[in-house]
Amino acid sequence: MLQDEKYQEQIQRIFAKYPDKRSAVMPLLYLAQEAYGWLPEEALDEVAELCDIDPTQVKSIAGFYTMYRETPKGKYWLQVCTDLPCALRGADQFYEELKAYLEVEEGGTTEDGLFTVEHVMCLAACDRAPMLQCNFHYMENLDMDKMRAWIEERRAEAREKEQKS
Amino acid sequence: MSEVTIYIDGQEYRVPANTNLVDVAKFYADNDIPVFCYHPKMAPVGMCRMCLVKMGSVEKNRETGEVVTDENGNPKIRWFPKLQTACTQTVYDGLAIITNSEEVQVARDDIIEFILTSHPLDCPICDKGGECPLQNLTMRHGPGQSVFYYEDKMHLDKHVPLGELIYLDRERCIQCARCTRFCDELVGDDVLAFHERGRRLQIVTISDPPFDTKFSGNTTDICPVGALTTADFRFGARPWELKEVPSLDPYGPEGANISLSTRLDRDAGGRIVIKRVMPRQNEYVNEIWISDKTRFGHHHTRSDERLTKPLIRQNGQLAEASWEEAYQVITDRLRAAKSLGVIAGPNQSNEDLWELKQLASHVENHHLGVFPATMSGGDIVNTVGVGVGTNFLDLKKGDVIVVVASDLEEEAPIWYLRTKVARDRGVKLVLLNARPTKLSKYAKYNLTYAYGDAVSAINSLISAVIGAGKINDEILSRVDGYDELAKSVKKPAYTNFTEAAEAIGDAQNMIVLAGSEGLTLAQQRELMQACANLLIVTGHVGRPNNGLIPVWHGANIQGAYDLGFTAEATEAIYQESLDVVLVAGCNPVGEVVEAEALQNANFVVVTSLFETETTAIADVVLPRQSFAERDGTFTSGERRVQRFYTAQGVIGESLPDWRIFAEIHYRLGGPKPKLSAGAVMAEINKAVPSYAEMRYKKLAEMPRQFPDVGGEDLYYGGTAYQNRGGIGQQTPTVAEDPEARLSVRPVEAMTPKFDGLVVIPTTLLYDRGVLFRRSTLMHQRIPAPHIVINPEDAEAQGITDGDTVAIVVEGHRYEVQVKIDKTLPRGAVLMPRRLSNRPDPSVPTVLESIEKIVQPVPVTEG
Amino acid sequence: MGIINGLLTTIKYALQSPVTIQYPEEERVVRERYKGKHVLRRYDNGLERCIGCSLCAAACPADAIWVEAAENTDDERYSPGERYAKTYEINMLRCIFCGYCEDACPTEAIVLEHEYQLSFTDRRDAIYTKDMLIVPVPEGGLPTPQKVEPGTFDRAIPDMEDPK
Repeated sequence: MLQDEKYQEQIQRIFAKYPDKRSAVMPLLYLAQEAYGWLPEEALDEVAELCDIDPTQVKSIAGFYTMYRETPKGKYWLQVCTDLPCALRGADQFYEELKAYLEVEEGGTTEDGLFTVEHVMCLAACDRAPMLQCNFHYMENLDMDKMRAWIEERRAEAREKEQKS
Repeated sequence: MSEVTIYIDGQEYRVPANTNLVDVAKFYADNDIPVFCYHPKMAPVGMCRMCLVKMGSVEKNRETGEVVTDENGNPKIRWFPKLQTACTQTVYDGLAIITNSEEVQVARDDIIEFILTSHPLDCPICDKGGECPLQNLTMRHGPGQSVFYYEDKMHLDKHVPLGELIYLDRERCIQCARCTRFCDELVGDDVLAFHERGRRLQIVTISDPPFDTKFSGNTTDICPVGALTTADFRFGARPWELKEVPSLDPYGPEGANISLSTRLDRDAGGRIVIKRVMPRQNEYVNEIWISDKTRFGHHHTRSDERLTKPLIRQNGQLAEASWEEAYQVITDRLRAAKSLGVIAGPNQSNEDLWELKQLASHVENHHLGVFPATMSGGDIVNTVGVGVGTNFLDLKKGDVIVVVASDLEEEAPIWYLRTKVARDRGVKLVLLNARPTKLSKYAKYNLTYAYGDAVSAINSLISAVIGAGKINDEILSRVDGYDELAKSVKKPAYTNFTEAAEAIGDAQNMIVLAGSEGLTLAQQRELMQACANLLIVTGHVGRPNNGLIPVWHGANIQGAYDLGFTAEATEAIYQESLDVVLVAGCNPVGEVVEAEALQNANFVVVTSLFETETTAIADVVLPRQSFAERDGTFTSGERRVQRFYTAQGVIGESLPDWRIFAEIHYRLGGPKPKLSAGAVMAEINKAVPSYAEMRYKKLAEMPRQFPDVGGEDLYYGGTAYQNRGGIGQQTPTVAEDPEARLSVRPVEAMTPKFDGLVVIPTTLLYDRGVLFRRSTLMHQRIPAPHIVINPEDAEAQGITDGDTVAIVVEGHRYEVQVKIDKTLPRGAVLMPRRLSNRPDPSVPTVLESIEKIVQPVPVTEG
Repeated sequence: MGIINGLLTTIKYALQSPVTIQYPEEERVVRERYKGKHVLRRYDNGLERCIGCSLCAAACPADAIWVEAAENTDDERYSPGERYAKTYEINMLRCIFCGYCEDACPTEAIVLEHEYQLSFTDRRDAIYTKDMLIVPVPEGGLPTPQKVEPGTFDRAIPDMEDPK
């Protein structure tokens, strides 16, 4: 997928930042994750090919950092912070309710393939808890009402899109 | 080497500077600082924390530099506040450590306790159980009780194949990273890596084919637990049941030292058989590494297809006979023989070759040939070969290794590994080849020449050395023919070699590894001379760590040259139709097209382990013994004569080759056969000057090696590394005698002009040779018969990657797969040897036709 | 006087019941801890306890035991975990019935039972193979090799009780 024309400019921009190719492996992994939604083995192979290193090394990097996902995930990746300060503001309860509402387990994906929920360590937004990170963008000062509304909006969007196609 | 003073547990030691504290403590103080992640062959990482010791420095008077002593006269030591890892410490003057205090003991106990929280302790079913550093250290430091919950033990996959050769047990892994570091740091194949982190950290490979390195088996040796095991030995035996027998790699020219672990086996009919092959430490030769071919290629020794009785051709059929009958037939025929051709195989021992030579001398008109006849110049090696005491490990920054016309990884993997590691230490690698090889990415200078033009390339290098004024004037006083040489290289074919030439001129030491890829035998001989010229005029001869190493295609080709066998004679045997031909332990008819001429001989005697294409044309076939059933000596490409020992029982009525030849010779009126290989060697000692000192007792001498890897205490986790068979001796070269004259002579490239595509025979490590193909485990790694071709040439021929084509070379038709390689020069078609079940061209030959076919290639089985 | 004493002893013993028994018609009952012929035990589900670790052979002072191991698969499973005994032989002529093998066994697979009637007419017959040593499949269990669900019996040692 990274061979696609639309990624070429981005790839070149990433390479331009580093003295040698293998240094670009992390930004390229983010790019691949964006393209595939997660990091399947073929994505790792493509990045390895681009950086001229062995795919095993790429997998190692993808495995070490928690923000790379090596299992398929939903379109919206919800990472709820449940560390102590957030928990004091009710984040752990919020997290439990969110899971219950979406009917998923820790790290699971909803049946419609839209949402993946997991808890993470501190996201440095304790004052605005409960908060979560959705596809690397923060959503802050949440409660379940806001969340339900937002989820249903996304679901409606998805249904609409499906009908169109 | 400068020395420093260190203090271990209050005792003073003088040790070499810049060495690792753990190695030094083990070697000089006999103090085993426990380690898991540290390995003397790899850079320390300090991951496992097992080697914690109390560390400090002696106080010194700042003005005088004298050591300050306390009232008892002991040096005053300033201790560091916390325990430190010993493995990350290089010794320095005044370093002091305490390894036996309670504080240190407690720390070690704690580390073991912590490591065991994620280890299953399933020692009874673990292949490492009994030779496991973790097991030993648990016995020494294990607390017996743990503060951690047993239920919290980590459970991970127990059966993960990393390819078909190596199995991983993730639960047993203690995350020392030795295997990943071995692949990454030493071999350069980054095919193993850690995945995830913390307690879930685990080894993965997603390379294709998985765990794609020719050294994968070594990771099982250095694994300090039973996390990595080989498919070959898995559950094969318990270590304490095994008997270790020192032996040698029967395949390669490096003379890799191995240890055969043998045990009785019910499946093998209650015989003693080889259960596994382990490396044996020899710091001069293979350190502690062996290739997967050496490790897994031993199955031929106990194959059911082994010949067990002599066979005599009667009415066109080979029929079993007794040794006496066979000797009778052979002696009758040899008495009347008008001419005799002898072809000695690549793993005939020196003793075999000697007796063979004695036997051949009975017929006046005889040729002593060697097989495979790909390389020549054994005499040149004896003049300018590497000096006695050469060790790749001694090459330093600024030294040079030149590799010419060889794909070292495929042809001599141990030299590949040692060259690559030397390069990492700062040795400059100059690579001359017609195509890029795996070594290219490590080379400082990649010098490319056209196929067949290796001699011109070396000549150009000499020209550039002369041009840069880097000729060694000192040595010129003992060199003959320099002026003619200088004149002959005035007009170099390649003019861009200046930088490499300067590096060569400036190098303190230089080793040249010369191969034979893309060369005819005559060209190859000229290449050896060209390399000798280069070494002589730059003064890189007659000293340790300097000289020529030939990349022979076999374990004892050097020995064959030393005893008077040549590849030229083999060619003569093919060309002249001789009365009697004796083929000793090889299969020329099945491997090279030229050997078909052997059918014209009136009488053919073959000694063999198996039925081959060559035994099919033989009149008498004699069952020989494999390297595992007998003892003897091989001479490596570095001219190191080394012994191998008897490991397993005799199969059938087979005899060692030397014995067979001696018996025949005896019946022809020769002396009574010797009783042992050692006695034959004693005769060689007397008759061959360069072998005068190669007495069995001397070859078995075993000096202590630093670092002290392995042995009974399994200190570094190596299992059978301890060398009990001796490190061997190198034969001296002519150049080492300061009085000896050295001669250089101009050589010509003789590059032939070919029209169209040229088939270049190459050598791969894994092939379907008679011996190696009996190891079924390795079949997946042996490629299908194929050719490698440049994409433009392929396009011109209308073929693409993966196609099956029929090619015709000198009237022989081969069905092969096509592999496209864009790095290959145009006009060359690489055709690896011994992949199909048909004889291959042995020299570069014009490709007559190439044609795409539809049906798939039948892959040769077994 | 002496002769009377002697006679009294004789009479006393003549009136007691004999200590000898009519072997082989009658067999003596041995003590609970008697060490007789070995058996290789099974778990309730029929899987063999022996994992082929060869520790019994290592412990054996008479060198009477010979074990060769092989690998289990889920399609052909003999014992829990990865390893089972492909060959298990005890040479009863060598065995001194010391019970060290029993002590060494990490899975309590080998036990010296009460069978003591070991006689052979050929030295070869003294070698008891695995078939002769292993106990019959218990009721409700299946004979080995068994075909099992992947992942059910992947550990040999840690859980000493019957695998679930």
